[in-house]
Amino acid sequence: VLPADWTAPKDFKVVGALSKPVTREIEAVGPHFLAHARRKRYKRTFSEDERI
Amino acid sequence: MSADGEPSSRVAIGIAFGNSYSSIAHTTGEGKAEVIANEEGDRQIPSILAYVDGEELQGTQAKAQLVRNPKNTVAYFRDFLGQEFKSIDPSPCHQSAHPIQSGNSIAFSIRDTEAEESNNTSVSEIATRHIRVLAASAADFLGKSINSAVITVPTNFSDAQKEALSKASADAGVEVLQLISEPVAAVLAYDARTGTDPSDKTVVVADIGGTRTDIAVVASRGGIYTILATAHDYEYSGTQLDKVLVEYFAKEFLKKNKSAEDPRNNARSLAKLTLESEAVKKALSLGGSANFSVESLSSGIDFTATINRTRYELLAGKIFAAISRLVLSVVAKAGLDPLDISDVIMSGGSSHTPRLARNMQSTFSSAAVHAPATSTEALNPSELAARGAAIQASLISDFDVEDVRESCHPVVTATAHLSTALGLLCISADEKSHGVFVPLVEAETPVPVRRSKIFPVPGAGGDVIVKLCEGTSEVISKPVEKKTKPETNGDDDDSDDDDDSEEEEEEIKEKKWKHKATIAEAAIRGVKKGAKIEVQLNIGPDLAVTMVAREVGGKGGVRGVVPAS
Repeated sequence: VLPADWTAPKDFKVVGALSKPVTREIEAVGPHFLAHARRKRYKRTFSEDERI
Repeated sequence: MSADGEPSSRVAIGIAFGNSYSSIAHTTGEGKAEVIANEEGDRQIPSILAYVDGEELQGTQAKAQLVRNPKNTVAYFRDFLGQEFKSIDPSPCHQSAHPIQSGNSIAFSIRDTEAEESNNTSVSEIATRHIRVLAASAADFLGKSINSAVITVPTNFSDAQKEALSKASADAGVEVLQLISEPVAAVLAYDARTGTDPSDKTVVVADIGGTRTDIAVVASRGGIYTILATAHDYEYSGTQLDKVLVEYFAKEFLKKNKSAEDPRNNARSLAKLTLESEAVKKALSLGGSANFSVESLSSGIDFTATINRTRYELLAGKIFAAISRLVLSVVAKAGLDPLDISDVIMSGGSSHTPRLARNMQSTFSSAAVHAPATSTEALNPSELAARGAAIQASLISDFDVEDVRESCHPVVTATAHLSTALGLLCISADEKSHGVFVPLVEAETPVPVRRSKIFPVPGAGGDVIVKLCEGTSEVISKPVEKKTKPETNGDDDDSDDDDDSEEEEEEIKEKKWKHKATIAEAAIRGVKKGAKIEVQLNIGPDLAVTMVAREVGGKGGVRGVVPAS
């Protein structure tokens, strides 16, 4: 439930940041990887990729 | 993306090439993976070559030659590919042709021609001949010649070993499209079975083979796999289980035939004993008892005996326990608790052993153990790697080899993974002080990633705050409340898994999410009572988070971006 005194522009407020990620190797196997590789090579986002 | 029977010039199969057994698989027109039986009807084809008067035998026929013709029989050679002589352990070859040093690599001195003298045949030539026969068996079945394959390898195969395997295969006329690792092939074999999108899960793959046991912890996030930890063991594996039976039957034989020679001291008797012990072990995976029977085992005496599964499990208990310990150590190496594991995939020939699967079930009480003994829907553990390879082969067979190579490049595969789970803090109506963390994206998820989930709105509706948080899981153990046990019929009603936990544990372990840090807050105003809120997260490759929250069925909603730090 929203506190009464809570305000933010466009009702969205950033209060923190993500923890540092870990870099790992993903396995070049399976249909979902191939989709990932395709997006990465053509620098597409998820929704761009779906439209094609 | 799905497999199509497009008659291109490339015919690709999946090959699982093991030290003890190999298998071949293809995908059918409907995209289902299927393991191919060779001319002898074997789906698990012994990785053995034998030569009799210049004639080459492979598979089960070659295995039989271990008794009569061990010097010209080559077995357990896969792990020698691309290795230097001093770095190999030749002990599995004790009962067949011994590996010898030949320049920088390894060879076997065998009589593989009609001539009376022996030739030094390199291990890569042996592998080439083996792959040629595997491809020919697949070609006979499919009615077209095979020119390419995806082959599975252990996760600790070095680049030199991979290169040697690729070359040996190319020499057999089979171009290697990709080498994929055995545990990932096993996970893929399971994921491809259901048509649905795979869920986020953390999987242990226990590949218990003949000469080695390989354990891997794999994070599967939206069907993308990351190996978190591995271990390899050459001590506790299938041949050790055979040895347990060898010892048992040898002692029984000597008890009954006091004057006979110990069959373990005679190479030929030992070979017979070993072969039959393996057959008995396999029978004990299926039935409650098995017959051992060898003609002229030692000193010309026939020997028959029976063993039941209980006795076998008693004799092999130490090995089973060691495998459980090994699996637990790999889970710890990945920084995880057994409760974090959602699936255990039992792979490799020895995984048919019912006791091993049941031990896994009691070790990972909250996980689904995929093995014939614990799940009726389990796939054949011996077929997983070949199936996974066949699926991958069908996925990439239309690609250029260059494309495949580029996709496997670290530029593509090195990816940032979330170190912490990301989710929402759901404040329940009754617990005002602290909310409950509900994960939306699990830790170890590679980016970019997109996830959405629908949450119920607490209380009476109105204006709601949605908090995006990081969360960690912790394992809390609390003592079991000693309930007054229903004394008589308790056992009958309980299912099997309850029995295991009763024995030793005095406390119940529980996985709990803990809210760590808040990342962002969003307000959604004027929500109806009992409404639901859908939250979608889009984490970009730079780790910028886009969050969209809206009432299900409502208009607008809130959209915000947490920039990359």
